[in-house]
Amino acid sequence: MNELVEKDVILEVNNLRTSFYTDEGEVKAVNGISFSIKEGSTLGIVGESGSGKSITSLSILQLFAGTTGKIIDGEILFKGENLLEKTHKEMMKLRGNSISMIFQEPMTSLNPTMTCGEQIAETIRTHQKLSKTETKLKAIEMLRLVGIPEPEKRIKLFPYQLSGGMRQRVMIAIALSCNPDLLIADEPTTALDVTIQAQILELIKNLQKELGTSLIMITHDLGVIAEMCDFVAVMYCGKIIEYTDIRTLFNSPKHPYTVGLLNSVPSHEMDSDEDLKIISGTVPSPYDLPTGCLFSPRCPHAKAVCHESMPELRVHEDGGLVSCFIYEHDKWQEER
Amino acid sequence: MTMTDGKVLLEVNNLKQYFPIKGGVLGRTVNQVKAVDDISFVIHEGETLSIVGESGCGKSTTGRSIMRLEKPTGGQIIYNGEDLFALSKKEMRRRRGDIQIIFQDPYASLNPRRTVFQTIDEAMTIQKVGDKSNRRQDIGELLKTVGIGEHQMNLYPHQFSGGQRQRIGIARALSVRPKLIICDEAVSALDVSIQAQVLNLLKDLQRRFKLTYIFISHDLGVVRHISDRIIVMYLGKIMEISDQKSLFNNPGHPYTYALLSSIPSTKMDEKKARVILHGDVPSPVNPPTGCPFHTRCPYVFDQCVSEKPVFYQIGENQSAACHLLKNGKVEFKNMKSPG
Repeated sequence: MNELVEKDVILEVNNLRTSFYTDEGEVKAVNGISFSIKEGSTLGIVGESGSGKSITSLSILQLFAGTTGKIIDGEILFKGENLLEKTHKEMMKLRGNSISMIFQEPMTSLNPTMTCGEQIAETIRTHQKLSKTETKLKAIEMLRLVGIPEPEKRIKLFPYQLSGGMRQRVMIAIALSCNPDLLIADEPTTALDVTIQAQILELIKNLQKELGTSLIMITHDLGVIAEMCDFVAVMYCGKIIEYTDIRTLFNSPKHPYTVGLLNSVPSHEMDSDEDLKIISGTVPSPYDLPTGCLFSPRCPHAKAVCHESMPELRVHEDGGLVSCFIYEHDKWQEER
Repeated sequence: MTMTDGKVLLEVNNLKQYFPIKGGVLGRTVNQVKAVDDISFVIHEGETLSIVGESGCGKSTTGRSIMRLEKPTGGQIIYNGEDLFALSKKEMRRRRGDIQIIFQDPYASLNPRRTVFQTIDEAMTIQKVGDKSNRRQDIGELLKTVGIGEHQMNLYPHQFSGGQRQRIGIARALSVRPKLIICDEAVSALDVSIQAQVLNLLKDLQRRFKLTYIFISHDLGVVRHISDRIIVMYLGKIMEISDQKSLFNNPGHPYTYALLSSIPSTKMDEKKARVILHGDVPSPVNPPTGCPFHTRCPYVFDQCVSEKPVFYQIGENQSAACHLLKNGKVEFKNMKSPG
């Protein structure tokens, strides 16, 4: 492979499959997905509940302790090294250091019995050899970086003494304390009010610019995607069904599901009194996935071929990837 | 769509809802949270009035107070000429046949040990609606109206998806033939594709049964889609009351303007300048003096700290409480923030 390309891509995921094993059978939560992220850029993963977007992020860090989840196939290349071949100890070194994560609920992901300062210090201590005073100074510096006023006083506070927005800032401070190359943000603003969401998104954007961190943004909110991302992967039932740059996604979406999703969002900028154009039906049960294209039972354009075989993710003429027979002209024209 | 000229259905006058904070060894009331602090508005027959605001602004408490699910601290709620707060418990129970509520979490608000039939039957029995011998048929019809199969009548809540459960919640509210339905974050817990289905259903039911909605939500996109008029609340007070068009095209209060500009836009080619508010919503236990928004307002000046603003009428159907408006409407788009 070309050396330049190698250097440019920080994370490459190839044919990742993650399954959960329950009493009712196997759930293919992530079912053969591939994507890559260039250094310093932002990839959005968008989808509804159960689409596999969060499991994708947990797979990258292999955070499946205490669950029946298992990665059964694929590779995750981080700076050219396959994370799936790493030992437990090597992964421990990586988490929070080169790759870190921000979760949705800052209250449940912070330790309620430790002060904010101690929690930031814990991460720094695990990965860096600094003296006690240096660690404390670094913790204060991190809090200042994420816009917490009077950080010298705030490091002594417990999470319950902070507001939701402030807690999320502490989470971001912990995640960025070792200057990671890749930050995974799983619904980081979903639990926050809009005015606080705007603050946190602005903060993440500015820090990313300043530190050059690459970012994976996982969300169900298309507005957040539009605000933050360079590229987007749209997931449905464990598969990527469209993968394109942000402009193409919003200006000319290709997959019928993406189109439906965009139409379903009542925008505060919309001017009509008309009913919303809806996607009929619901997401199929993971134990009973349809044959053929996974979206075919809900798709307004579905033909016989859609119910029979699964379309592959193919390059569309405008550069994006889409998995839909509508764009495979030979197969689509034959039917009629 | 605008039905603002319709008859007044419900009138809220100086509603106050305070919650005590107990403390000390004796459990005395040491302070109080002013969840709703002296608000007044009317709702007309057949319209959808939305209440928006951030967490803790008092929008849900307002809804619950109208249903008298909380003991009111002060004020009046006039429905059909009578004050709901003056009614006995028994009389109020009867009145709840006219006013129904749909909650956010459809799983938590349905009894997991009752079938759909039992749940709806209970509501109809309490309100003495319809003939008992026709119950199965009536409930079957009702379920069809909200898009649930008649054959699913004997299933339990856990056997339905989130969207279906919310449809059952709607069917229960409809079963007693109400005039006014309070939707408290009724679509917030649903995925967008399901949310769109339920929103369309609510609009359709409104047309068919001439319903009036009070729609409580934090999602301005949803609110724009469904409302005729909108109330913006902040820290227990009303900041702005406006018809839908004026509010979104030309917000009257700086808080409304900031709220609208905080929403991430999906329009790729028109990136607008944003107003990002600093800081958090202050504690309702100890609200700021003067205008409650002055601690975060980009246009704050001396008067805002010392004096509570009154409402200024700035359009036919638009009024807002802000000192900036005393000489008429202000275009925030063209205004430079002094800070």
